[in-house]
Order: sequence, then structure tokens, then C-alpha cells
Amino acid sequence: MASRHNLGTVISFEFWRTVKKPSFWIATLSFPLMFAVIIGIVYYSSKTSSDSSEKLAQEKFSIEYKDDSDIVLPVVAEKLEAKKTQDKQQAIEDVKSGNVDAFFYYPANLNEAQVEVYGKDSGLFNNGKYSAVAEQMLKTSASATIANPKLIAVTQGSVGSKTTTYKENGEVSAGWLAAVPPLLFLVLFYFTIAMLGNNLLNSTVEEKENRVTEMILTTLNPTVLIVGKLLATFLAGLVQAAVMITPAIIAYFVLGADVINLPDKDILSQLVFDPTAIIIGALLMVGGLMLFTGTLVAIGAVMPTAKEAGQYFGIAIILMFVPFYIIMLILSDPNAMVVQVFTFFPYTAPVTALLRNAFGSLSIIDAAIVISSLIVLGTIIILLAVRLFRYGAMQYDGRLSLKTLTLKKR
Amino acid sequence: MTKAADSVISIENFTMKFGDKTVIDDLSFEVKKGETFGFLGSNGSGKTTTMRALLGIYQPSAGSLTINGKAFEPEDGKMLGYLPEERGLYKKESVIDVMTYFGQLKGLGKNEAKEWSLNYLKRVKLEDKAKTKVDKLSGGQQQKVQLGVTIMNDPDVLILDEPTKGFDPVNRRLLMDIIEAQRAKGATIILITHDMSEVERLCDRLILLKDGNKAAYGTVSEVLKKFKKTTMDDVFLHVYGEDAATQQEGEE
Repeated sequence: MASRHNLGTVISFEFWRTVKKPSFWIATLSFPLMFAVIIGIVYYSSKTSSDSSEKLAQEKFSIEYKDDSDIVLPVVAEKLEAKKTQDKQQAIEDVKSGNVDAFFYYPANLNEAQVEVYGKDSGLFNNGKYSAVAEQMLKTSASATIANPKLIAVTQGSVGSKTTTYKENGEVSAGWLAAVPPLLFLVLFYFTIAMLGNNLLNSTVEEKENRVTEMILTTLNPTVLIVGKLLATFLAGLVQAAVMITPAIIAYFVLGADVINLPDKDILSQLVFDPTAIIIGALLMVGGLMLFTGTLVAIGAVMPTAKEAGQYFGIAIILMFVPFYIIMLILSDPNAMVVQVFTFFPYTAPVTALLRNAFGSLSIIDAAIVISSLIVLGTIIILLAVRLFRYGAMQYDGRLSLKTLTLKKR
Repeated sequence: MTKAADSVISIENFTMKFGDKTVIDDLSFEVKKGETFGFLGSNGSGKTTTMRALLGIYQPSAGSLTINGKAFEPEDGKMLGYLPEERGLYKKESVIDVMTYFGQLKGLGKNEAKEWSLNYLKRVKLEDKAKTKVDKLSGGQQQKVQLGVTIMNDPDVLILDEPTKGFDPVNRRLLMDIIEAQRAKGATIILITHDMSEVERLCDRLILLKDGNKAAYGTVSEVLKKFKKTTMDDVFLHVYGEDAATQQEGEE
């Protein structure tokens, strides 16, 4: 009962002092702020370019053209009030002298030569209108000549393909739509450690840096303190995630999926949720978090200052990041020796196994081995971390030595 | 050694070794309920080590150390007030937040802890510093806050490791008044100090540690009589002699 009361007190104290720090809000708000700025820029430039396109389309200019390819139809040219000429050199001179705004030359063999476009300079961005109109004249004429909608679709590259693949048991493979939900656990794992790891490390070293350990250890069970710190850090992480995600959700529903480059709502509804992959993903994430958070607490307990502890935290982050360097190998050849090593080596296992699980190359037996080893090792490391905290925290001025640890072991 | 019925703290055949070095060698003594007990010795004589072992921070190499008949556990922290030699508080938090936190850990409700803290701060003339961050306080002010945290919830047992270290005479007086008030409330106090006048004024009994064991143990008058001295300063000089003069300053 007292332990539960103390756990609540520790969580509350640690949580509020984390969220009251200006640095927490600077880190938390910088992401949505950056996101809002990018959305603003994308929205503004998209609107501006749309307005400009409409303006350009409405803007008329005088055209002359010479067609040696015999593709451009007079009826298409007439719509644009383009005049046909036979004297290429004179037409270029007319553009130079300003008598005509643009001249297009269509060579006889378009496979070998390019369409030549000459125009009156109207600014870096506006000059693009000449080639756009020249190409449009050609495409419209070619399409009209083919006069077959199917062939036009093929020539314009607007034909798509739909692929269906089957698993060994004959079921339809869901592909990316099934990979996305379990991949979310990888994203969650990665961001949790990357964003909260430093907080956790600082929070553990803090007792030692503030020389408050002796008072704490005579008031509170170190396990309660460490668990309280872990839970408070995760709560602070939830606040951070909520603050970061909220602007994206608002933008998604208010401005639409296109603006923030997210998939359409229909695609989201087509996602395939494979319960086995999701359960394995969740367990891998939990095991990975146990291992990495335990390691961080252990580092914090051994090191005398946050600065020194930070160097070792960097190594943990690198180990976590390493599997991304061989991501193509993980996806294409999961049986490769290096992938197998990364799958079962504890500190590279979470990312590697989460990737393989999402893409369906992690067998249930392999998953069971990785999950159980992560959870068992994570538990051992957390228990060791508590022990290290208890005795390492008394070493105010230096690292905890193994000799010291064996001497102080009640 | 026969344990007295009214003993609160009992240390029996306590030995503490760090590697090959024996810091405490077969030490036994008791602290009785309600008494103020002086725990004395030169730097490095093992006073802080003994207290850390008593509070479960160190594992003794041999012997038994109990409070109220059992080994101390953090869950018993509510009845204990410990002012360690190594001072420290959460420096980036406000005074009131830190005091309230420790008050809650000692079993007080949040509001109760806050109210107690505000009253204490008023008593030590720090009422205007309640919302100030700890690292903005002077060393002496931080010590006052730490003493407040120690005596919160009126603990039955107080262990004060050099409580007046770094205090000016005015604040030393204030601090001693607070300790005397706790004593009057019936608290059992272990006072670790180098100030022999404090010992003479406050302590009912004392122990003097030398070479890992007791050089003297009894009431102040018994100790004075044993060494045929009139002041505890003289006793200290007699026991430690050149050792005390040449003892390196620093941690135990």
C-alpha cells in the first residue's frame, strides 16, 4: 500500500517536473511548429502555383509555327490562333523583333530531334508557358489523329496495373497494406527511445548529480523510484506524442490528405490488420523498450554526470540504428547471415525483428525466441539497473566499479 | 552485549571492511529511546559508514544493526529523519515542491505536506523563498530546507550528520533550537558532530570512535571523568591527539 502510494507520488513528481521544463516544450513544440511551417509553405506554394497555372492558361500570346513532322492539325493550331509559317529563320527574327510572342518548330523526325521553342522573354517562371503550349499542340494533334481512346491512354502512360500475389497456402498476400500496421510498432519504438531516452538518462543521473540519493534511499525503495521514473517518462512521452500528432490530425481533416502528403482515408480503410503480426509487433516493442530503458537506467546509475552518461547513450542509439543500414538486405534476404545475427543480437534485435515481422519474413518460432530473450534480458537489465542505481548513486564523484558493487550489496 | 529494553537502535558486533581495509571492527553500542546520542570521531573514523550500514545503504561485513528491533527498510522511512553528511536536494525544483515531495514520501498527504512546509519555512525565515528554485538559495538556506525535509512528519528517530556544518552562529542557534524542540517531543537523536560544545549541551550519552572501535562510551560526565578532563574538546584532543590535527579533511 505504502509502495503504491510512493509510486504514485514519484510518478506525479517526476512527470510534472519534466513537463514544467522549458526544454521539454521547446523539443515538443519544435516538431509541430516545423510541421505547421512546412504545411503552410506547401499550401501556399500549391495555391500560388495553381493560381499561376490558371492565370497562364488564360494568358494569350501570339504564335507562329512550322511543322515538318506533319503531326500538328490545323484545327488545333487555329484554336490557339497560331499561324503556320514556312520560313523558320524569319519567324525567329519576328520573335527577336517582338512582332510575334513565340515560334515553335516541329522537326520532321521527332524521335531524333527536339521541338524548338523560341519566345519573348517574360521572366524565368513565365517562360515555361511556351514549351507547355508547344507540347500541348503536338499531344492534342497526335491524340486526335489516333482517334482511339484506349490507344491514347496507352500513349499517354495513364494505364495502371493491379498485382495480386499468393502465399504458399493460396491466400492473397496483402503486401504493403498488411505491412503498415505492424511497422507502426517500429515507429513507436524508435521515437520512444530517440525522444525519451535522454530524458530518462538525465532523470536517473539527477539524483546523483544533486547528491540526493542518500535521502531518497532511506525514504523510498529504489525499485519504486526507477519504475516511477520509467512510467513518468512514458507519460511525458504520451503528452509529447499528443502535442506532435494533433496538428497533423487537424491538418488531415481540415486541409485534406493531399496537403500533408498522407494517404487518402480510403487507403487507410483498406489496411490489413493481421492479428499475429500485430501481437508479435507489440511484444517485440515491449521487449525492446524494456531492454533499452533498462540499459539507459543502468548507464545513468554508473556514470557520475549526465554528460558522461550521454556518450554511452549514443552507443545504444547507434546499435539501435545499425539495422537500418542493411534494411534492403533485411527485406530481400532475411536468411542472410548478417540479418540472422542482427535478429538475435539483443541490441539490434528490436529494429531487425520488427522490420522482418512487418514484411512477413519472421517465423513464429524466431519471433518467440527474440521476444522471450528481449523480455528476459530486459528484466535482468532493469533489476541490475536498480541495483546499480542503489550502489552507483552513492558514488557521487566517479563511476561505479565492480569492486564497489560487490562490497555494497544488501 | 545485553540489549536494553528501552533501546531503539542496537548495533552488535558490527564490522565493515572495504577490500582489505577494516573501517569498523566489532563495534557494539545502543541508543536508548528518547535520548540524544553523540556519535563522535575524527574524519575517516567510520561514523558515516556506520550510519549508512544502519540504514541499509551498505551491507555490513559482519554483525547486526537494527532500529526498533529490525533491519531498516526504506518502508520504515516514515519514522526516520536522516540528514546525511552529503547534502543535496533537487536543485531545479522549487523549495515548496521538493519539501512537499519528501513530505508525501514520508506519508503525509499533499496538502498536509505543503502546509507543514510553509509553516517550517516561516519558522526558519525562508517564507519568501517557497517558490524559489533550490539552486537559487545560498548554501545555508539549502541546509535549512534540508533540515526541514529531515524533521518532517516528526520522526521517532533523527540521525543528523554534522547538521551545523557551514552555518553562521545565528543560524546555528536557530538550528539547535529546532533540534532541541524535536528532542522535547521525544525523538531519539543521533548527533554526528565535531562541535564538542554541542555535544556537552545536547547529548545524554555518546560514543567516541577510534581505530574502528569505541574509545569511549557513556554519558558526557562519565566520559569526562574517565579521561579526567573538564571539556569534551580536551577529551577529543586527548583521544585523537596528533591524529586529529593531521587528519586529512574530507569524506569518510
